[in-house]
Amino acid sequence: MKSKPVILKVKRQDTPDSKPYWQTFETPRKPMANIISCLQEIQRAPVTADGKRVNPVVWDCNCLEEVCGSCTMLINGRVRQACTALVEKIESPVTLEPLSKFPVVRDLQVDRSRMFDNLKKVKAWIEIDGTHDIGEGPMMPDAIRAKRYVLSECMTCGCCLEACPQFKAGNDFLGAATFSQVRLFNLHPTGQAQKENRLDALMGRGGIADCGNAQVCVEVCPKSIPLTESIADIGRQTSLKLLKDFLSK
Amino acid sequence: MSLSTRDRTHFLILKLHSLTGIFPIGAFLVLHLLVNSLRTVGVWQYQLSIDLINNLPFLIWVEILFIYIPLLIHSLVGFLIIFSSKINLKRYPYPRNWGYTLQRITGAVVFFFLIYHLGTTVGPKLINGKEHFEAAPFLIDIMNREFQTVTGCLLYLVGIVSATYHFCMGLWSFCVSWGIIVGPMAQRNAGIVFALFGLALTALGVATVTEFSLDPIPVEATVGGGAS
Repeated sequence: MKSKPVILKVKRQDTPDSKPYWQTFETPRKPMANIISCLQEIQRAPVTADGKRVNPVVWDCNCLEEVCGSCTMLINGRVRQACTALVEKIESPVTLEPLSKFPVVRDLQVDRSRMFDNLKKVKAWIEIDGTHDIGEGPMMPDAIRAKRYVLSECMTCGCCLEACPQFKAGNDFLGAATFSQVRLFNLHPTGQAQKENRLDALMGRGGIADCGNAQVCVEVCPKSIPLTESIADIGRQTSLKLLKDFLSK
Repeated sequence: MSLSTRDRTHFLILKLHSLTGIFPIGAFLVLHLLVNSLRTVGVWQYQLSIDLINNLPFLIWVEILFIYIPLLIHSLVGFLIIFSSKINLKRYPYPRNWGYTLQRITGAVVFFFLIYHLGTTVGPKLINGKEHFEAAPFLIDIMNREFQTVTGCLLYLVGIVSATYHFCMGLWSFCVSWGIIVGPMAQRNAGIVFALFGLALTALGVATVTEFSLDPIPVEATVGGGAS
């Protein structure tokens, strides 16, 4: 007996400025199929359910093991990675939409550069470059290493921002991923040199005070990063800095 | 970086919003509900407390400085916060998102309730110049009449529940955003404690409304006499 095909309703958009429209596709139901493999089927035979030949659907993907974050999209209205969305485990028909808070490039492909610009704003790195060799870094206690490991799993996929009621396409909110990265680098013994600068960047427009504690970020994070703990911790670091600045500047 | 950059001002305004919600506004809410619940103990105890408050020196200045100005700042920034958010409860109906959404709704409800509340109590009191010992009979008379209608009682119940919810949810998010409670366990436990506190405050308010509506007792001015 032939099993029922997978029905995919895809929200499409031809150019960044054109109007989106919906198209329905049917792909054969194969064991262990995920949304990416279904999209690949469409790419092989770009024919809609009503038999119209169309341009293949465009999407982003890279690692196919949920560590790069590039295939993040709205699957049945919920933000997640397409590579780990197994067809057997999700409701059919499946709706696929691009992220709603990032500019669409084409179809399911979006421009997530805002996230990377935000990481630059907060200096989410450890400065080791200089004019001379600065030698070995200090030892890191294992408890700190363990804490940092979890935070370092962030793949800048954008789930936390897509689901955040404070993060909008038009505003300048930095968002949970950025706050958590500040915590990651402020925890590093060498990274601490830039701690004040990072906090300064968070104590402004779109910074930590703009967070409304809806805590949806932590619910949708595919890597289970304790984002709300990071937000509260950054809240503590900025509160202490605020007090320090008031008393010593 | 200096303290007064434009960016830092944005941050400080939001911090001020958060702080004024706890002190003095939240502190006043607790005091207000507590003092008014004296009505359930007895009408003369209640009148005594109103007499005490209305005989405080520089009362109007204390009210302006510790209630009206902070309330105005908190409301203004609050509405800016409401307009800066994009509610997505339908897509992500998690408990904390409910809390976040209700926090914004109750904030707006309390604002409009307070316009009504001030307009029917403090407003007439100031216009009619009912100061010192004259304030208690005047205000008690207003409240007695207000709680005789179902609409009046419902209006106050909605106002009280919205205010206690907004305050206790605000206490929790204040503690999170200022970094007083950090870990998930601490956040959960604090949430339970503040919810219980909120229930206690609500009970206080509901008891007062019930007492007023079931047993309206008019009073005479303690000193000077109401007839003069």
